[in-house]
Amino acid sequence: MSSNRIRILLVVLFLIALGTLPFWASRYMVVIFLLMCLHTALASMWNLLAGYSGLISLGQQMFIGIGGYSLAVLSMYHGIPIFLSVLLGGVISLFLAVIISVPVFRMKGVYFAIGTWIIAEALGICFSNWGYVRYGMGLFIQPAYKLPISTIYYAALVICVGSVFITYLLLRSNLGLALMAIRDDDVASEAIGVNIFRCKFTCFLLSAFITGVTAGVLYLNTIFIQPFEAFGIGWTVKLLFIVIIGGLGTVVGPIVGSAVFVMLQQYLSEYVGFNLILLGIITILVIFFTPKGIVGTFQEKLGFEILPIRRQ
Amino acid sequence: MLTSLEPLINGLLLGGLYAVIGIGLSLVFGIMRQVNLAHGELMILASYLSLVFLQLFAIHPMMTFLFVIPVIFILGYLIQTFLFNRVLEKGMESYLMISFGLSIILQNLMLLIFTPDARTLQTSLAIKSLNVLDLFNVPVILLVDFLTGIIVLGLLHFIMKKTYLGWAIRAATDDLTAARLVGINPRKVYALAMGIAVITAAISGVLVGMTFTFYPHSGTQYLIIAFGVVIIGGLGSLPGTFLGGLILGVSQLLGGRIIGPGLQLLSGYIILLIVLTIKPQGILGRR
Repeated sequence: MSSNRIRILLVVLFLIALGTLPFWASRYMVVIFLLMCLHTALASMWNLLAGYSGLISLGQQMFIGIGGYSLAVLSMYHGIPIFLSVLLGGVISLFLAVIISVPVFRMKGVYFAIGTWIIAEALGICFSNWGYVRYGMGLFIQPAYKLPISTIYYAALVICVGSVFITYLLLRSNLGLALMAIRDDDVASEAIGVNIFRCKFTCFLLSAFITGVTAGVLYLNTIFIQPFEAFGIGWTVKLLFIVIIGGLGTVVGPIVGSAVFVMLQQYLSEYVGFNLILLGIITILVIFFTPKGIVGTFQEKLGFEILPIRRQ
Repeated sequence: MLTSLEPLINGLLLGGLYAVIGIGLSLVFGIMRQVNLAHGELMILASYLSLVFLQLFAIHPMMTFLFVIPVIFILGYLIQTFLFNRVLEKGMESYLMISFGLSIILQNLMLLIFTPDARTLQTSLAIKSLNVLDLFNVPVILLVDFLTGIIVLGLLHFIMKKTYLGWAIRAATDDLTAARLVGINPRKVYALAMGIAVITAAISGVLVGMTFTFYPHSGTQYLIIAFGVVIIGGLGSLPGTFLGGLILGVSQLLGGRIIGPGLQLLSGYIILLIVLTIKPQGILGRR
């Protein structure tokens, strides 16, 4: 059981460090960790779809846009308390996911990828032609001006830890077992009574809800929302990069991936124009040489997982 | 004057251009069962290459095909040989991500080299319009697009049906194992097919450059149009691609006329989503 104890110790130490961060770190550090937390949550949700459910979505940005716009509209136009608006953003994303699941679950593989992308693009066009949200000019989320950075950081931390542990628990539940059975052999798993549609549908809804809530917190920090940025494919590019670098289909992968991504982004921001080129090159190189990502490769070499999803 | 006919006629003509935009994507999917997400960027790259040759030699944009096509063919061949062929057996995810990475690289390279300014391949054709029987006006440039589109589709049909390369491509599409047994090297066939697909993308890129303005990030928009065309018509089907182009072109222009120009793209997307939902394999798709 010693490896189990090390595991718990590592996780607890990590959480204590993160939980006390605003008390000892500089504001810059807090912002960096805030970004890492948000990207981890978003990437975990994309990973849940792509890495475990076999649903490669190129349309996660639709929930980011909906979450962000819900926050802006509800808190500014309707005076709803700001964190309630963030939660409602998740609920609205959930509704959107239920509605679009009718068409997108008829699509398989690459059609699913394209279908989700086109829905996100269509929503972007709708929002940029909608006077209520000031067309393509975007909205400044005024109620978020007064929030101290540490409040936003704790919100992000809660979402980050929450999303990672929900993924972890979900994958260790019967649903996770069913998902792995589907991934390994969908015909055989259906024959022994796994309801493929329900498993994938659950993951899709969960990912929509958490992505919507995370987007709300993200826009508390950004303060400004604009349709082509919010509904842009750029979000999925980032998530894809994070998950590939970290390790597709591992629980810890998105955490490591978003740490690497945020650091790279900070470091490369001096070289405007080159940073995205480099991200593209790194993605291709990782797929060629370490297709399992950083975490996957380490797990294979050391035989040690920090958050194992297999039952012992 | 039957001006109400104009969106319909222009939509059909635009559809010919859309068909060329989509045909390369459809070809690659038909053969390798993979989707090249860098298709739009390769198109716009050809627009910029054409611009470079245009300024270098002061020739008509249509003449730049002489230089653009060989360059882009070699690029397509190399991309398939060194990038895509390496991940063919690893499934859809790897291929999607490699092509995604490539599209990000190309887009930002173009941004770096050519700046984000709007560009166009200027011709005198762009401002002329043809009056048909005093009934309606047709922009000459759309007519050129449509005719070039027909020629490209016709040539492609000829290559696929009458040449050895076409037979090899179709053999590899229908039965890979059998094709290997009769001595076809699939990787080489894939590279040549990608080269051809990229040529069609390049031709559509130059036409788009002559017809509209383009930016380094325009590729995404045209990738979606390409998807629209091949999904409406059916991935991997040549006549289907042509039909898909016409349907998308008409639905966009009619939609733009009816619900407003800002929502022109939206009407195309909605048609696309309806087709994806009802008949995901497309109107003329196989399987």
